[in-house]
Amino acid sequence: MNAVAPSTLLALDDISLSFKGVKAITSISFSVAAGEICALIGPNGAGKSSLLNVINGVYQAQSGSISYAGQTRRRMRPHQAAEDGIARTFQNIALFKGMSVLDNVLTGRNLKRRSTWLEQMLRVGRAPAEDDEQRWHAERIIEFLRIHPWRHALVGKLSYGLQKRVELARALAAEPRLLLLDEPMAGMNAEEKREMSQFIRDINRELGTTVVLIEHDIGVVMGLSDHVVVLDYGRKIGDGTPEQVRSNPDVIAAYLGTRRSQSARSQ
Amino acid sequence: MSQSLPQALLQQSQTRGAQAALRYKQLGIWQTRSWSELAVEVSRLASALHQRGFGARHDLLIISEARAEALLLALAAHWLGGSVSLLDPAVDNRDLLPALAPDFAVAEGLEAVGQLRSAPPRVLIFLDKRGLSTAPDKGLVAYAALLDGVHAEPPRPAVNATTHAFIFPSINGLLRQELSHRDLLLGARQLIDVQGLDNHEQALAARVFATSGQARYLLAPWLVAGFCLNFPEGLSTRDNDRRELGPTLVLGTRESYARLELWARERRPLPGSLSHVLYRWAMNPAPGVLRRWLGHWLIRRPLLDVLGMSRLSKPLLVGEPLTPQSTAFFSALGIEPRSLSAVANANVPADLPASVSPQPA
Repeated sequence: MNAVAPSTLLALDDISLSFKGVKAITSISFSVAAGEICALIGPNGAGKSSLLNVINGVYQAQSGSISYAGQTRRRMRPHQAAEDGIARTFQNIALFKGMSVLDNVLTGRNLKRRSTWLEQMLRVGRAPAEDDEQRWHAERIIEFLRIHPWRHALVGKLSYGLQKRVELARALAAEPRLLLLDEPMAGMNAEEKREMSQFIRDINRELGTTVVLIEHDIGVVMGLSDHVVVLDYGRKIGDGTPEQVRSNPDVIAAYLGTRRSQSARSQ
Repeated sequence: MSQSLPQALLQQSQTRGAQAALRYKQLGIWQTRSWSELAVEVSRLASALHQRGFGARHDLLIISEARAEALLLALAAHWLGGSVSLLDPAVDNRDLLPALAPDFAVAEGLEAVGQLRSAPPRVLIFLDKRGLSTAPDKGLVAYAALLDGVHAEPPRPAVNATTHAFIFPSINGLLRQELSHRDLLLGARQLIDVQGLDNHEQALAARVFATSGQARYLLAPWLVAGFCLNFPEGLSTRDNDRRELGPTLVLGTRESYARLELWARERRPLPGSLSHVLYRWAMNPAPGVLRRWLGHWLIRRPLLDVLGMSRLSKPLLVGEPLTPQSTAFFSALGIEPRSLSAVANANVPADLPASVSPQPA
């Protein structure tokens, strides 16, 4: 079992996950330091999204343990993960399309509310003051991500790039310590990717949020991340700084396909 | 009668202290400041600047879009008898800055701070802290921190009417312009008389702060007439903000009116539809009380609401006249922008030194 360093926010130890006998993740261990941007990269089907789902408790690993914020657990639960400050975005946008940007972002504040549903419904007791407070927090994030011109627009009417930003805003509204981003730049053009990269960097530097992201654009990953973990067929084949990963022969082989073509030739 | 802009501010604070002076959006909510609150904040800012060594011989360089903090800092510099140079943050000013060699500067955000690295000022106040938490620049101070450190009573406001209030340094071949307190106050009084402005106006400030038109025709009249000045939240929200505010007074250029006209034209009903026929029918000048009445309530009034112009009574135009197309569009809506070129030419008395000097080599 790996020792957890004091600055480590998240550590995965020997995590394995399989679906009806199909191994999605095999014995993966790595750690994420507090305040860093960690990228998970690898070809399609490498197990990256499954690993994010294990981290925030959507999937339960068959073996291994997860240490988060000093606590080691056999398994995470989604609600517990959210309460402990883990937020995420999804590969496919998961927003309330018929609601405004502001209302979508406010849903990210639900766990921060302390008033009861009755107080909220009747707008009595703690509810009115809390509404103002939640709005203030939501507006801070909306301004931070520069989506204020669309705060009252219906999300379904916004461009894809803006919807991705709204999803990020909703995750940030929960004031997470650890932010999991599943392909935040998928389907974006170069300009939108540059903008989103800047936002992720700002979230990390200005808000102090630790980020774990999945991204296919290697140029973006190398420029943005402090730490890169490379997966292939559910196994970890690289772990280090962008420079270390760039010169790792296994990673080069997996990305350029030389290893597979060599093994095919040898068969 | 006030001799300087800060004196005009104090006069408004004494005569209509509780009335709204400034409105701006912060985190999506409109915030209102009264004349007395404004006077207190400007005096505190003047104290803070004074504590940092700013005096009558100094110039405060501001690289910012129009926002309340920049305006208050400008008035604080005037309070101490100093001048204010304004530069547009959207322009690359790095070549110009070494020649200006500012001792005191205000930067809206990271980009403006970056520009000022070509001529680092002794004191650099920033308004938006994003990206600046680890900035290495010396003398960097946040606007909020500037107010926190105020202990001393503010000095009395300066009263020298011939001091330059605003300086617009020469850039991109444009002439350097210097506007004294007297220029501005005389021009403002004339504008108020000619245009019939009073303290009930709701004015919308343009986003670009670094224009002499904004200083002459909006800021100075605001301080003299005592109306409410509203700042849009940002360039991208200005149309929405205008709609929410419904200003009675706007100051625009040919380009800004044309942009609004284009915005409306792009959203009109598609040709061939019944709505388009109705739109054309309502927007064409035609005789008949019934037609005018129906056209007003069915098309023109809703369109004015969407444009945020339903309460607009003083549409001011600075610079070139409108294009014929824009003129026809706004005229159909009952809006006749009033050109300020006549006022601009008349507002500098012959006995004053030239307020526009040729560009130094």
